Amino acid sequence: MTRSDETLLEVRDLQIEFSTEEGRVAVLCGLSYALPKGRVLAVVGESGSGKTVHALSILHLLPPTAYIGGGEIRYKGKNLATLGEKELRQIRGNKISMIFQDPAASLNPVLTVGEQLTEALLAHRNISKEQALQKAVLLLEKVGIAEAEKRLDEYPFQFSGGMCQRVMIAMALALEPDVLIADEPTTALDVTVQAQILRLMKELQKESGMSAVFITHNLAVAAEVADEVLVLYAGKCLEQASAEQLFKNPLHPYTQGLLNSLAPLHRKADTLPVIAGYPPVPRREIIGCPFAPRCPFAFEKCRQHCPPLFEENGRKTRCWLREDRK
Amino acid sequence: MTAPVQIKNLFKTYTRRRWLGKNWEKPVLKDISLTLEENHVLGLVGESGCGKSTLCKVLLGIEKPTAGQVWADGKEVAVLSKSEFKKLRRVMQVVYQDPYSSLDPRMTVRQILSEPLDIHGLKKNPQERNTFLKELLASVGLSDSLLGRYPHEFSGGQRQRICIARALALNPKILVADEPVSALDVSVQAQILNLLKEIKKERHLSMIFVTHDFAVARFLCDDIAVMYQGRIVERAPAEELFENPQHPYTKALLAAVPSVCAPQTEEAVVSQEWPERKDWACPFAARCPYAQEKCAQKPFELNEIFPRHACACGVRPFATEKKSA
Repeated sequence: MTRSDETLLEVRDLQIEFSTEEGRVAVLCGLSYALPKGRVLAVVGESGSGKTVHALSILHLLPPTAYIGGGEIRYKGKNLATLGEKELRQIRGNKISMIFQDPAASLNPVLTVGEQLTEALLAHRNISKEQALQKAVLLLEKVGIAEAEKRLDEYPFQFSGGMCQRVMIAMALALEPDVLIADEPTTALDVTVQAQILRLMKELQKESGMSAVFITHNLAVAAEVADEVLVLYAGKCLEQASAEQLFKNPLHPYTQGLLNSLAPLHRKADTLPVIAGYPPVPRREIIGCPFAPRCPFAFEKCRQHCPPLFEENGRKTRCWLREDRK
Repeated sequence: MTAPVQIKNLFKTYTRRRWLGKNWEKPVLKDISLTLEENHVLGLVGESGCGKSTLCKVLLGIEKPTAGQVWADGKEVAVLSKSEFKKLRRVMQVVYQDPYSSLDPRMTVRQILSEPLDIHGLKKNPQERNTFLKELLASVGLSDSLLGRYPHEFSGGQRQRICIARALALNPKILVADEPVSALDVSVQAQILNLLKEIKKERHLSMIFVTHDFAVARFLCDDIAVMYQGRIVERAPAEELFENPQHPYTKALLAAVPSVCAPQTEEAVVSQEWPERKDWACPFAARCPYAQEKCAQKPFELNEIFPRHACACGVRPFATEKKSA
């Protein structure tokens, strides 16, 4: 894919490693994608696939034992991977902001919601406290919190989980960022609340025209929000396609297996088709295709050489079965 | 024959005693009546905080009911003596949600699976014990070479298989499964669901299955009870519930489930998050798009509206749909 002016965020060959007692462990091996303006990319993967680590690395929020081992994260041409803390502060929260999984744990319990909402505004914009509070009221109203003015003086424990996540979204949108990174924003929520939050995020994203990276383990959630879907497995992208293509016609055996193994809601199934085996432990080095040990179609080549991403009709698939179909 | 589990007018209120002033009280279960039939899987579905896990705790005897009765295998759980209770444990076992915190990290798989046998003094002969443990592991799809390993050497799915094996060690008649797949990876959930269905069939288990996921409930359950704020709002055979949901809350829950094939419909979004108006009698009325004046007067009883299908709604906005169908 060529980098057009429209591309806001581009990740190129990103490699993330953890230093452990047993040496370096790569958790993300060469992830690449380009996020155009106004689009939503869903990164789907199981635990240990590297999806959260990738999200954290964009804004340098990795834990101390992890580091970027190679590759670039370009935001409007600037490489975030090598940017200093001072310059990064201009971008973090301002141009690129983030929402985390557990809303109750991500808010500070000893500060009022108003204080937390205005913190970023006061840090980045040259405005008075009164103006910031006014803006905060508008933001809370935008995310659908009633009696916003009154609730500014309340503490996070006085909010339900869904309400806390609305506050988190309001905080993330306070500075009108270009890119929103949402790391499993609805995983901790009930389904009815999840439906509300997904709808709210979709509306706000359309309205403001921002781009978003949406990280989730739930394929159905990805189907609800995403324009483009990237499937991660053991630190590698196995498949990337538009949401429509991917869910209608998955090409990689892993994606196929995942979609088949979901319990259907609209009919009764006798048994569920399963993917045999378990996801690999990141500690071990993988030779060949990471999915080969669980893949029903794997042959000798798969076990020895990891396939590259084969491109066809604007979608990418990391599978030797797609090799000759180019 | 008596039903494996029978619950009658169960109330549970958590109280915190205060030295001065009024005690703090939180009613969690309100007037629950349920029957788990022989060889059936009864699904308890609801959002977090609706009381489904508390119901399991009362059933397992971990919590005492505030009022009402719970019978398991024909015995009233709350009044059993210690030795009778120990006997009941052989009949009723449990699998928890998080396989990471429910296995002792310092015990090998052999020790974990032997513990229930030791407590009940079963299979004392070492050789017999050994074959039994190997068969047990095989029945949950694990290789018998894993007996000497520790829990940290296993993935989440394998751990959950060990938890299931431990629950099956005493050959129980009743299995209580509290969200057994929600902590697992997507690609492993289907394996565990198939396994639970298989062992239920093979061992003639009756099962209480707690979940928040309707798709999972449809796959595994014969009967489903939908809970909301400590009450059962609808109860029906699984297929009937999915084909013909009658309570507005059930309908809203079903519509809110995201799906890879069907885009969400308008009714998915329930208007309010938490009740704002306190004087409704029906617990769901504050979020219900069909609420009427009568919903404020007194809570609706769980009434049987079709054979085996009970619903606690006085408005019943979908009642006519059945006739046209």
